[in-house]
Amino acid sequence: MKDVLVYIELIEDGVRPSSREAVSAGREIASATGGSVIALIASGEPVGVPTLDGVDRIIHVTHPALGAYTAEAHAAVLADMIAKLDPAAVMLAYTTAGLDLASAVAVTASLPLVAYCTDVTVADGALTTTSQMYGGRLEAVVRAPLPVVVSIMPGAFPEAVTTGASPEIIVQDAPKSLDALRSVFVDEQRPARGSFDLSLAERIVCIGRGIGAADSIAVARELADALNAEIAGSRPVIDQGWLEKERQVGKSGRLVKPRLYIGLGVSGAPEHLEGMRSSDLIIAVNSDAAAPIFTVAHYAAVCDMFDLVPALIERLKAGTP
Amino acid sequence: MISQPAMRFDQPGRRLQGLLAAIGHRRLIRNRYSGILHAMIFVSFFVLATAIVQSFGSVLFPGFSLAPVGGDTWIALAQDVFAIVMLTGVALAAWQRLVLRPARFKGSNNTDANIIYILIVIIVVTMLLEAAFAIVAGSGASAIWRPVSATLGAAFTAMRMSPEFASQAHDVFYWLHVGAILAFVVYIPGSKHRHMLLAAPNVYFRSLKPIGQIPRPTPEVPPPPLAAATDFAWKDMLDTYACTECGRCQAACPAYASGLPLSPKLLITDLRDHFVTQPADAPIVGPTISEDTLWACTTCRACMEVCPVHIEHLPKIIGMRRTLIENGNIQPMLQTALSNLQRVGNSMGTASKMRARWTKGLPFNVKDARKEPVDVLWFVGDFASYDPRVQEISRTVALLFQRAGVDFGILYDSERNSGNDVHRVGEEGLFETLARENIATLSACTFKRIVTTDPHSLNALAQEYSAFGATYDVVHYSAFLLELVEAGRLPLGPTERRTVTYHDPCYLGRYNGGFDAPRALIARAGCAINEMGRCRENSFCCGAGGGRIWQDDSAMTERPSENRIREALALGDAELFVVACPKDSVMYGAAIDALGVSDRIKVVDLAELVMSAAETHS
Amino acid sequence: MHIMVVLRLVADLGGDIEIAHGGKDIDREWVDLKLNEFDDHALEEAIFLKEIVGAKVTAIMIDGDGVERSLQTALARGADEARRIAVDDTDGPISSRAMTPVVAAAAAELGADLVLTGVQSPEDIFGQLAPSLGAVLGWPQASAVSSVKPDDGSTITVQQEYSGGVSAAIRLPLPAVLGVQTASRPIRYVTGSKLRQAMAEEIPRIEATAAVAMPDVEIVELRVPDEAGGAVMLDGDADAIADEILRLLADRALLQVC
Ligand SMILES: Cc1cc2nc3c(=O)[nH]c(=O)nc-3n(C[C@H](O)[C@H](O)[C@H](O)COP(=O)(O)OP(=O)(O)OC[C@H]3O[C@@H](n4cnc5c(N)ncnc54)[C@H](O)[C@@H]3O)c2cc1C
Ligand code: SF4
Ligand code: SF4
Repeated sequence: MKDVLVYIELIEDGVRPSSREAVSAGREIASATGGSVIALIASGEPVGVPTLDGVDRIIHVTHPALGAYTAEAHAAVLADMIAKLDPAAVMLAYTTAGLDLASAVAVTASLPLVAYCTDVTVADGALTTTSQMYGGRLEAVVRAPLPVVVSIMPGAFPEAVTTGASPEIIVQDAPKSLDALRSVFVDEQRPARGSFDLSLAERIVCIGRGIGAADSIAVARELADALNAEIAGSRPVIDQGWLEKERQVGKSGRLVKPRLYIGLGVSGAPEHLEGMRSSDLIIAVNSDAAAPIFTVAHYAAVCDMFDLVPALIERLKAGTP
Repeated sequence: MISQPAMRFDQPGRRLQGLLAAIGHRRLIRNRYSGILHAMIFVSFFVLATAIVQSFGSVLFPGFSLAPVGGDTWIALAQDVFAIVMLTGVALAAWQRLVLRPARFKGSNNTDANIIYILIVIIVVTMLLEAAFAIVAGSGASAIWRPVSATLGAAFTAMRMSPEFASQAHDVFYWLHVGAILAFVVYIPGSKHRHMLLAAPNVYFRSLKPIGQIPRPTPEVPPPPLAAATDFAWKDMLDTYACTECGRCQAACPAYASGLPLSPKLLITDLRDHFVTQPADAPIVGPTISEDTLWACTTCRACMEVCPVHIEHLPKIIGMRRTLIENGNIQPMLQTALSNLQRVGNSMGTASKMRARWTKGLPFNVKDARKEPVDVLWFVGDFASYDPRVQEISRTVALLFQRAGVDFGILYDSERNSGNDVHRVGEEGLFETLARENIATLSACTFKRIVTTDPHSLNALAQEYSAFGATYDVVHYSAFLLELVEAGRLPLGPTERRTVTYHDPCYLGRYNGGFDAPRALIARAGCAINEMGRCRENSFCCGAGGGRIWQDDSAMTERPSENRIREALALGDAELFVVACPKDSVMYGAAIDALGVSDRIKVVDLAELVMSAAETHS
Repeated sequence: MHIMVVLRLVADLGGDIEIAHGGKDIDREWVDLKLNEFDDHALEEAIFLKEIVGAKVTAIMIDGDGVERSLQTALARGADEARRIAVDDTDGPISSRAMTPVVAAAAAELGADLVLTGVQSPEDIFGQLAPSLGAVLGWPQASAVSSVKPDDGSTITVQQEYSGGVSAAIRLPLPAVLGVQTASRPIRYVTGSKLRQAMAEEIPRIEATAAVAMPDVEIVELRVPDEAGGAVMLDGDADAIADEILRLLADRALLQVC
């Protein structure tokens, strides 16, 4: 009971980035327990295993029922592997699959579970995590004995980097239960191209009346593009006709919950805050240090947006810092 | 047609008094031009009715004549003179309708009006000619008593008309006159001019209930939803038939002005057409009156205030909204607000336990009126409790009370939204829950009177809770502060004299008559008021009332609040836009943001103005 | 079909949050309880199913403050029955993980063949309820469900949401457990008059037939993260601030293409 088992989620073009983050969180635990990091990849066909940095071993289970994701099939494989390996920790990223699987295998294996982790450390045979509650409004420090199931917040850990040695790949048989599954995958839907819904945007650059004039929208748009974000505005910006109504954030516009909200020249009236206060990360830029948006922002900069925006664009265009 | 009863037979004295005021054109004259022309036509109509009596009497009862009572003398003179007054009135009316074309006539039946003008002109002209020919023929009244007809007659004589010809012409014009009158009588009931008959009864049977109440049959029985004709009371129907299509209501309506699909005039005429043409049980809400029309109303009451025949638009709008609520036709924003009110007793959805958090910023503890007796119980209201922009004002009010040594307390997290606007949204059940919760809380407290900063709460506490048997002595903080100032408890110091304008909140002014106290306070605080054209009873709603603040306004072409700020800016010299309602601080603050005119005018609350004057007192 | 909906109350956090003395819970003085947002959707979905295929809906909650009123509301919204389940251990809120055996026993007892609950709650750091229930009952389950369609009576097809707007249809046989993310239709408004009627109904209280069970895991400290207490100020000139913002984004993997 020293190893760390990491559930790897596959997407179209390889490994979901948050699974790579789970690997690096797993590495922190493994280095304390002195065990290895073992990745579990469950796939439908015995095709090539995607490259995966930072793990010591990859266990590859294939079965036709594992091709398209169902909670039942993947939970069976993961639970089976936990029973076989008796790991010190089982790591998953908090995605839909992570949600489905983590609690289910924890109950099946009678293990404690800690979810929404942004930090993990192991000392004296116990795990201490920092976990988000209330969408990050609160942080709990949680202690759990090993072995334990851990589900981590995407974005909280860096993606694992290579350890140099290429991991050993072990192909394992699927548990028998996969031959008698009850859940059936029917089909998959992807969002139609061109459909726009601000409330689904993952990143938003929101401009307020501080933008001053219609001409300046262009630089804000440039920043949004460089960030791969949607551009949005406060009510006065929409009133002026500088952006379309469907891009209005707030009480009488869209309620948004992106992973990133950058507010530029938005004062933060209650009607505006109502629409964006539960965003994961709020960065507010305003020339007035008393702007109410700073009360909900996580990071705030008192400066002229017209100085800051070009500086940001320049850096984004030059590549990551 | 089956309809609901309406108790409108009480208090004949008061009813008559109102009718006399209407006959005196009290409301009509607010609009000078049309008021005067209507008075001219109205009075002439009664005088000329004597001519009609004469014409018909003489055929129906041979030998009948008004001569013994002055038919050939002073009555004849009056007829002649008022014929000219009538023609002038009709000319003015036609000029207005065809040339001036005020927007309020948009949607009215103008052809109908024109036909009536023509009929009146025919009746009057034939009457004059008939008399003129009589004079030429040597019969009828003496020329001295008929100066106009005599002048015409003189002209005919000058054209060498023979008395015989004149006598025949007299007969022809007599029959033309009678024919035109008959045509008029036949035409009237099918036209908007039936108001000639129905205006008086409609005014007489007007509602005498306090205007801030939505009548409730009994404490246990809420007012019913209005869905089909059979749900409306006979008075509602009479209302629609009495409408003159004058459009005064439409011109006053903030919803109409903002481009929303509501004209109180068309609402009434559409209902009338529905009553006339549709089966009694045909649904009205939806097919005849659209959902958007009903939700557009701010319940500001401007329409009812100006209607010359005292038509009651609001009870119909609110009654039909009850149908919408019952059927679950609620827009998402409004639904969020109502769900929040159900859940935590405020529309913002903030925890009820946070209600008194604003007091944390005060240098003293505000008494908990639930735990100890107080002189004054301050009913704070939602916006004043929760909105960070208004919380500052609430603290100012608290500091003013403290300065004046007022023994006051609040209800902390037991206060609920008063339900005033919930009631007007048509959510009867929720209103009852909120009202009963507040009443239960209040009945466990000891206090002498209630002060509220919120006009909407004022209306609910002062007028609506009596439906559940709870009556209170409630004052708005404007009146209360004025009392303190006048009693010397809140001395104000000298301030620099500034020119300001003041916005009358609907629920303080029109609904509860609080026009003077705010103005007196502003003057005491050393400011001069430059009034906007639409002030006092004619104040223009900010657009927030009746649940509008909980709804999407993107369909508006111009927000009422922005229209109002433009009105204030047009005064030229008002530096401050003084408000006396927490929702107004929010609405007008946002309007100034939206217009980008924060360098030209600022919104201040009455309390802030008073505080700045109090601070200069040493 | 008999649908059991599991509802939970959670703290309604307002502006500033304060931590109670002892550091392990929030200061509840300024805090109300409210129905967990996702449970609200689960209830709506159950009522939606009832309306389209005629199911019986029973709403259950672990008994405590505010529970009766929430269940009355559920009745007003269209649930057929409601039960509050009394458990012994009422020392503070019971986590989703701890209530799992109690809820599973209730599902068996009520004879439910579909259990709906919210996909998550803001407090469920020890595990989400739907997958835990599925594991205890041995029923198939799916989380992050956005619509449920009954097929022929013995199976249902659910839509499961993944990130980036991708979703998949999964067919499950009954009995099953679902963690609902959004209902198939917007939550409908219950009028005050319906609520007032429901307030008159008493909600039966039944004893739990299983004990709460919590693995050995605990919160040792609860805190308000720096960022939530007020913004962290980024200082310096525009260049310094830009560097700082880029670092923040890079740390949170917000620079990569989705
Ligand atoms: C019923 C109702 C519904 C509403 N609904 C919404 C809604 O859905 N959404 C919404 O947004 N609003 C809504 N509002 C309007 C809201 O009250 C505010 O008026 C609005 O949000 C203000 O927008 P703003 O912050 O862009 O403008 P402002 O408040 O004017 O703020 C502009 C800000 O830009 C800053 N600034 C200026 N120049 C610069 C510069 N060069 N660099 C950096 N900062 C600069 C200023 O310091 C200021 O803080 C609603 C209002 C009401 C009454
Ligand atoms: S109450 Fe006001 S908003 Fe409503 S119809 Fe009358 S004038 Fe228009
Ligand atoms: S309702 Fe009254 S004000 Fe409006 S058009 Fe009719 S008569 Fe005129």
